[in-house]
Amino acid sequence: MIQLSKLRKEFGDLIAVNDLDLMIPQGEIYGLIGPNGAGKTTSIRMTCGLLAPTQGCVRVNDVDVLGEPERAQQYIGYLSDFFSVYEDLKVWEYLDYFARAYKMSQPEIAQRIEEVIAQVGLEVKRDTLIHGLSRGMKQRLGIARAIIHQPKVLLLDEPASGLDPKARLELRELLRSMRDQGATILISSHILTELEGFCTSIGIMEKGRLVRTGRIEEVTAEETPTRIVRLRWVGDSAESVRRILAERLELSNISLDGNGGSFHFVGSDDLLAQVLATLVSANVRVTSFGEIKQTVEDLYMKLSQHEVM
Amino acid sequence: MLLFWSNPEFVRHRRAELRRGRAFTVAAVVLVLCVLIGLAAWASAANELEMAQIRSARFGRPTQAQLFEMQQRLPSEALQLFYRSLMYTQAGILAFWSLFSCAQAVSGERERKTWDFQRTTRLRPADLMLGKLLGEPVLAYFIVLCCLPIAAISGLAAKIGLLHVLSAYLLIVSSALFIGLAGLWLSSLFESRSRGVGLIGTAGLFAFLALSFNFRVSELPGLAGFSPLAGLPQLVEPSGSATALPTLFGAQIPWLLMSLLLYMAFGAWIALMLGRNLKKDYEEMRPLSRWQAVGCAAFLNFLLYALFHPHPWSPPDSHSFTTFIVIMNGLIILAVGVATLAPHERLRIWWCKRGAHEATLLSEDGPPWPWLVLSAVVAYALLIWGLFAWRRVLGFETSSLSGGAIQMAAVLIFVTRDVLFLQWCRLTRLRAPLIKGALYLCLYYIASLVFTFVFSVRSEWDGRIVYSLLTPAGALDGRSYGVHFPVGVFGGMSLQLIVVGVLVTLIIRRLKRPPLTAAVVGD
Ligand SMILES: Nc1ncnc2c1ncn2[C@@H]1O[C@H](COP(=O)(O)OP(=O)(O)OP(=O)(O)O)[C@@H](O)[C@H]1O
Ligand SMILES: [Mg+2]
Repeated sequence: MIQLSKLRKEFGDLIAVNDLDLMIPQGEIYGLIGPNGAGKTTSIRMTCGLLAPTQGCVRVNDVDVLGEPERAQQYIGYLSDFFSVYEDLKVWEYLDYFARAYKMSQPEIAQRIEEVIAQVGLEVKRDTLIHGLSRGMKQRLGIARAIIHQPKVLLLDEPASGLDPKARLELRELLRSMRDQGATILISSHILTELEGFCTSIGIMEKGRLVRTGRIEEVTAEETPTRIVRLRWVGDSAESVRRILAERLELSNISLDGNGGSFHFVGSDDLLAQVLATLVSANVRVTSFGEIKQTVEDLYMKLSQHEVM
Repeated sequence: MLLFWSNPEFVRHRRAELRRGRAFTVAAVVLVLCVLIGLAAWASAANELEMAQIRSARFGRPTQAQLFEMQQRLPSEALQLFYRSLMYTQAGILAFWSLFSCAQAVSGERERKTWDFQRTTRLRPADLMLGKLLGEPVLAYFIVLCCLPIAAISGLAAKIGLLHVLSAYLLIVSSALFIGLAGLWLSSLFESRSRGVGLIGTAGLFAFLALSFNFRVSELPGLAGFSPLAGLPQLVEPSGSATALPTLFGAQIPWLLMSLLLYMAFGAWIALMLGRNLKKDYEEMRPLSRWQAVGCAAFLNFLLYALFHPHPWSPPDSHSFTTFIVIMNGLIILAVGVATLAPHERLRIWWCKRGAHEATLLSEDGPPWPWLVLSAVVAYALLIWGLFAWRRVLGFETSSLSGGAIQMAAVLIFVTRDVLFLQWCRLTRLRAPLIKGALYLCLYYIASLVFTFVFSVRSEWDGRIVYSLLTPAGALDGRSYGVHFPVGVFGGMSLQLIVVGVLVTLIIRRLKRPPLTAAVVGD
């Protein structure tokens, strides 16, 4: 569980994070998105205790991060956007260092290192010097470091940069499995498609404030009561199909040409089913009929436009 | 004591720097070097004997009997020389290595972006400190460990005595630890942007440690104890060379003890500063809490009186002693001021709270100047005590107390002005505000010097007025007696009080400005 209340950070006379309130319950994967300079990194750094907030309070797993930093750290795994690793250590030594630094017990450490190395797919590199690893491998190692002590809360700032597509998939799987084991994950990313279908909640940050936050479906639904439906058919002319559709009041912006097109629709799924039934009963041979889902990216673009206006 | 062996930070350094192949190589090199040093020592001792033989053949002196005795002594002379060279070499290696590796420990990690991960672990500042202190120069400690058996055996064989050998090692290791700690502290004060200044600081620290040896002949001889070179000669030479001993409140103590006392006292302050700050973000670092800073000022003052050792044939009078103490306090109060500068956001919060009557002037986040006043008051109280304690040497005169009060006030006003200027710089959006502010101050003092010079060409009196108005030197030039300072000194104090007022208004203006919301790229 992560709880930020009235969190504020000023750098000189610049407010980077402005009275942020956020509650992420256990078992959520929360995606934080926002333009450059929105305050994502600053918020994450305050959450893991690296930066003291100007005002406000951070609680992680019900521990006050400012008040009891050493106790809080045992629950937090953190990966920053830019980092490097100790080049003169071997892969297993690097993980061993952090396992010790998190005060894990000695017998537990050896087993956990093997486990984590397998999870990030670095088995063949176990005994090589980090100096000789590629950028993506170092990123994997960074992820391994962040999870070595089985943290209850994982804070990841742009964790997928430098990873190849396969490693990205593996990262998703890894995070999902951690979530299933009860971890709470806060992840900031620019690559919005990456968060889609994987985060349970999102928050959109701008100028140090959260402009929208909530479960992904809720946020998208709230923003767009109008759904866009695309259809295709064979046979009939566009004009005859338009006539049928135009009879229904819930529909607007009908744009059809050739054998396909789209329309806007406001209403329940039931109503939408009726629209399809009408088409079918009028002997239109429909080949496809489906709603175009709003992507996080669309939503994000929309929201930022609001803000700018 | 073996706590450090399992310290993760130490283990990391040990693993990275002492891989098996490298350790064997280093040990072999050390062995070869020892053999070479041994040969050189033997050659040097034999050379001396040869010269004596030549002299004996030419001039009949030394006599045959003396020559014979010298011949007998040759092996032990050579051994002693060998032992001495080994000990000095070890001390040098350990001190150098500790300073230069520790002085990059934290700033280096900041620069490589590995520091944040250490800060998010459960390691406490004390763990990090211990691990880095012993881990960064681990190779140097390993070299000393390789030398140890050879040096110890040769020392014992040269009849140095076990206690002396142990004491010498104690001094070498404790000085290396202290130097490493000081380097670690320096490195925590700098980041990549101020790396140049960090390097200068390291070189300065090194110069201080090297030159502190010269304090031996000053009126604060104890300060020479900072350098291991003050105590080492007596420990590694069998008879012990006869240099003057340092004093503590006038009582002589051995150099080893003096060094250990200094290392422990200053080491404790440094450890306190590191412990408070190691896990903090760079911008939030504040070396000492404000009460601790005042305590540190009191400690430094106390040390001045404790280490004071007047020249027996020309002891200073109480006036010049007072002036000396006030000058030292100018530096101490400046250091307190720099250590208590408040970060922008903290000062702003304090200002808001103060508006709501929730914070007092003497608050941890408030402005630094009340603490400077407090430090000056404490220093003055200690001055009264110090003059009283040393009254038999200096003579206790009330006029030096009143004069001292005015000098202290003058110094306080000037230092407060400088500190408030630095505080104001910190509130502006300058990059590296402290360094820039310090540079501006240097410029100001250089300009004052030039003005003084220009005006004193016309008449000495004019020059004196100028430097009394612009710098605290007027009150400290030792030409006044009691409270009878020239008008220029009082004029300077009033002028600077006005400047202080202006700076306070500027600072308050800055605090009143509303903050800006972060601008987003692309807006
Ligand atoms: N140490 C600092 N000193 C001064 N200003 C800072 C500091 N760190 C961040 N800022 C400012 O705070 C604001 C928020 O920065 P932050 O790094 O949190 O943004 P972000 O959302 O992570 O951006 P990005 O997507 O580019 O990573 C920016 O305007 C930045 O300039
Ligand atoms: Mg960022």
